[in-house]
Amino acid sequence: MELALIIGLDTLNFTLGLLLVTMGLVVIFGLMNVINMAHGEFFLLGAYTMYMVQQAKMPFWTALLFAPILLAVIGFLIEEFVIRHVYHRFIDTILATWGISLALKQAVIVIFGPSSQSINNPLPEPVEVFGVVYPGYRLFIMGVSLLLATGTFLFFYRTNIGLAARGVIANRAMAASLGINTRFVDRATFAFGAATAGLAGAVMAPIMSVDPQMGVGFLIPAFLSILVGGTTSLLGALLGTGIIGTSSTIVSSIWSQVVAQVVVFGLAIVIIRLFPEGLTGRRK
Amino acid sequence: MSFFSARNLVAGYQKESRVLNGIDFELDQGEIVALIGRNGMGKTTFLETITGHIAPSSGMLLFRDVDITAAQPYIVARAGIGYVPQGREIFNEFSVEQNLLMGAIGKPELANKIPDWAFTIFPVLAERRKQRAGTLSGGQQQQLAIIRALVGSPSLLLLDEPSEGIQPSIVQNIGTTMAKIAAESGLTILLVEQNLELAISLANRCVFMENGRIVEEVEDISRLRNDQELVHRYLSA
Repeated sequence: MELALIIGLDTLNFTLGLLLVTMGLVVIFGLMNVINMAHGEFFLLGAYTMYMVQQAKMPFWTALLFAPILLAVIGFLIEEFVIRHVYHRFIDTILATWGISLALKQAVIVIFGPSSQSINNPLPEPVEVFGVVYPGYRLFIMGVSLLLATGTFLFFYRTNIGLAARGVIANRAMAASLGINTRFVDRATFAFGAATAGLAGAVMAPIMSVDPQMGVGFLIPAFLSILVGGTTSLLGALLGTGIIGTSSTIVSSIWSQVVAQVVVFGLAIVIIRLFPEGLTGRRK
Repeated sequence: MSFFSARNLVAGYQKESRVLNGIDFELDQGEIVALIGRNGMGKTTFLETITGHIAPSSGMLLFRDVDITAAQPYIVARAGIGYVPQGREIFNEFSVEQNLLMGAIGKPELANKIPDWAFTIFPVLAERRKQRAGTLSGGQQQQLAIIRALVGSPSLLLLDEPSEGIQPSIVQNIGTTMAKIAAESGLTILLVEQNLELAISLANRCVFMENGRIVEEVEDISRLRNDQELVHRYLSA
């Protein structure tokens, strides 16, 4: 019973961590149709922001503020100087963002070196939940993820700015003819997606090994999640991360990491074969 | 200065193409003008150039003394030009209400809400305000597209073939309603239309377009009822 509860909490923890990373991807990929190969590096930069804050002996919490702001600025610049020139060439967006990904990763290696850095756990005290002892910081991550997901949903589906953003995605020319500044919406959406990746990196840093390769580890399951869940809605991201997160945690705690990888990829292939647009996508 | 004018406007979809081949055209405030011509003569291209979706290669567009030549679409919209494009281009996934809200939120000077009158002009929109717009009939979608443009409080409204693919009773309803709105508010309308009945019932004046030029003008549009030769020349295949 206690084991089941721990596996359950681990599943929820991994799923919500994955959701935290996937949120920005789904905003940029699902809503703007740009495959952002640099998303993992946005995550990486968020984690290194946490590292720098720790080196500067500033309080842990300030990194949760600095990381999204820094990444919003970086996202804004990348959109302005690179992405906007290739919006209409889908394949080129992959190449361009892959180039950015390489450049950012190498820049991190040049500045911080290739070795891994460790971040102090700001909430080292374990917490008792439903009779089992669980790391407090992992619960904190789960909370942040839920807050971000809810906030993103409310922003896109309950505010006028969110409506305008979805309108630009649905019909760019018409939205512009109604007076909506579509370039502003593009920039803001991309910067928002980058900021959430930065926040994810900063929040996850204390439980990960912070090194220049850390972005890739989350990028693949995050992409799988949106392909499985469907790219057109935030609900798809929730569903996709749920499936990928749950299957991979349960299988890896019963068998091993390797079996989990095989099972997760197999499951993703089957789902994408049956639902090419993802579980929430509409058939064309 | 006239309310709206196009001077020697040349534009096309590719660099060398001249779909619009030197358009000279004026609109006075408050008038309703029908732009008539066969398919492929450049009517929609003219509207797309006014609204900033196509950049003209030469010529000039002036609206209320402001140069809007090659201005971005959202700037043109904010200057006060409302656009109801061919095919209506409503947001299918949005509700009727959200579609109307889209008409308001792009305009910084307007409150971010739908004015009450928006639901009184075509009552069917009030009945279906929560319904997904993609499920409306063609005629209802057309009505929605028109009100969506009006919610942005334009002073010039561009209507591209509002009768296309719509049952005659709704076409007539749209015609009389628009005439009434224009009479009450002083709205200027440029109507692109192949349906003569609608054009005659709504417009005061009409201009004929051929091969990217305005080639003829009729001051009193009701003359078209009796001038079969003119109609035949510019409309029939």
